[in-house]
Amino acid sequence: MKSSDNLLESLDPRTKIVSYFAIILCVVLTPITHLRDFALYFLLVLAMSFLSRITPKQILKKVCILIPFVLFVAMFVPFVKEGHICCALKIGIFRLNVTYEGIWTFLNIMVKSSLSILLLVIASSTTTFPDFLKGLDLLHIPRLIIMLMSFMYRYIFVILDEARRLIRARSLRYFGSRYREQFRVLGYMIGVLFIRTFERAERIYHAMILRGFGGEIRSLKRFKLSYKDILFIIGTIGYLACIVSGLVHKIEHIKVNNTRLWQGL
Amino acid sequence: MAGIIKISNLSYRYPDGTLGLNNVSFDVEEGETLVIIGANGTGKSTLFMNLMGILDGTGNIEIMGLPLNKINLKEIRQKMGMVFQNPDDQLFCPTVLDDVSFGPLNLGWDSSQAITASQKALALVDMEGYELRMSHHLSFGEKKRAAIATVLSMNPRILLLDEPTSGLDPRSVSKFINILYTLKSQRQTLLIVTHDIFLTQEIADRVLVFSEEKSPVAIGSYKEILNNYDLLLKNNLVHQHRHRHEEVVHEHEHRHGYTHEH
Repeated sequence: MKSSDNLLESLDPRTKIVSYFAIILCVVLTPITHLRDFALYFLLVLAMSFLSRITPKQILKKVCILIPFVLFVAMFVPFVKEGHICCALKIGIFRLNVTYEGIWTFLNIMVKSSLSILLLVIASSTTTFPDFLKGLDLLHIPRLIIMLMSFMYRYIFVILDEARRLIRARSLRYFGSRYREQFRVLGYMIGVLFIRTFERAERIYHAMILRGFGGEIRSLKRFKLSYKDILFIIGTIGYLACIVSGLVHKIEHIKVNNTRLWQGL
Repeated sequence: MAGIIKISNLSYRYPDGTLGLNNVSFDVEEGETLVIIGANGTGKSTLFMNLMGILDGTGNIEIMGLPLNKINLKEIRQKMGMVFQNPDDQLFCPTVLDDVSFGPLNLGWDSSQAITASQKALALVDMEGYELRMSHHLSFGEKKRAAIATVLSMNPRILLLDEPTSGLDPRSVSKFINILYTLKSQRQTLLIVTHDIFLTQEIADRVLVFSEEKSPVAIGSYKEILNNYDLLLKNNLVHQHRHRHEEVVHEHEHRHGYTHEH
């Protein structure tokens, strides 16, 4: 196995999965009103991106692809969520009320999603998908789920290609009009794609059993937890525990001679 | 020479009642290259599926002295490998090395043995250095060669190849023929299903012709079979079509890959 000078890349996939899962869990469960905690989470993610040696430009490039999807879902929340009206927008005969509750929910979605996406970008840049799957296997995640993920990753492009060929074949023989008829055709296409996928799955299964597959995932790599992995997990979980337990908040409020400690420092 | 594969009275019907194979009987000698030719839908691939125990027809199949049944299936599959027509069905792992080592690892070999066997198989198909490439990013020709490597890494004594040259460009076909010659020189028993007459005359020791009645109609040396023009014409392996002699376009029967005079 090739050694890496990038700390995050050199870690065992189990370490990364456990650490990232713990961070995402804490981020999701922290109330949005604890803005200081989110700043600390952001610092942690920033430190990880520094350790991963991915340039901010690379991170931003990937984040900017995903954020619009979240924004599209969240942008309607301030207008839809009922509560205390903050302001109102008048568009023609329509009056849209923006509520405080809606704004907080919007912030909740955006802040948590952005942190999770940042972490996802770091994770995907420092762990190959096969290693990630092997990590899940070593963490005793059910094999069926791992196999499904593995095949999805391998065959998504093949199925997309097949779908693209079907769409191309349809568009070459479609000259507009008869819109209702097109829904029927779309139904046929989905059906055909399903049958082709099913048949392919059968052929792949045959190819697997012919090469001795008996249900167990075997890999060439042998993963071993090192002292770096232990330190990384302890560091990450410890940092999260400090935030979640309110220790940071308490340290902030320690007073020496009637002055807050951190202000004195 | 001992018959490494013996098939007698093999028939198969698909679940919908369609006849797949009709009373097939023939033997294959150890180390020989038997090319099975026939038009589309004559049961050539169905025969391979039966030989590998994926489909369960009636009749008798004996491979390396072992009757094909559930008890011997595992042992037979260790000694006989099959390369599918579509390499995308055969390459299901993220990287080439993962795919090629899949078989050896499932045979219980340790990582170092599996890697050595995989690298040897990749070298045989002229794909050294492809180990960490993504399988789905390979060209079609590379996928075909990688698919062969996935089977060769298990050191099979018999290799079944289903339409190995279909969809390949001329350069890839010649690379493929070189690989097959290497395997032939190693006394590997090869069964090749194709309707590529050019490949047949290049590589075959014997040729078996499948008819549209889903059964073999002739077996013999490649010279005997390929020179029997009526047999090839009757079984849809050569056809009549218009073709051009400079400015003159006319119609008569002729075989692809052969020049002829008028």
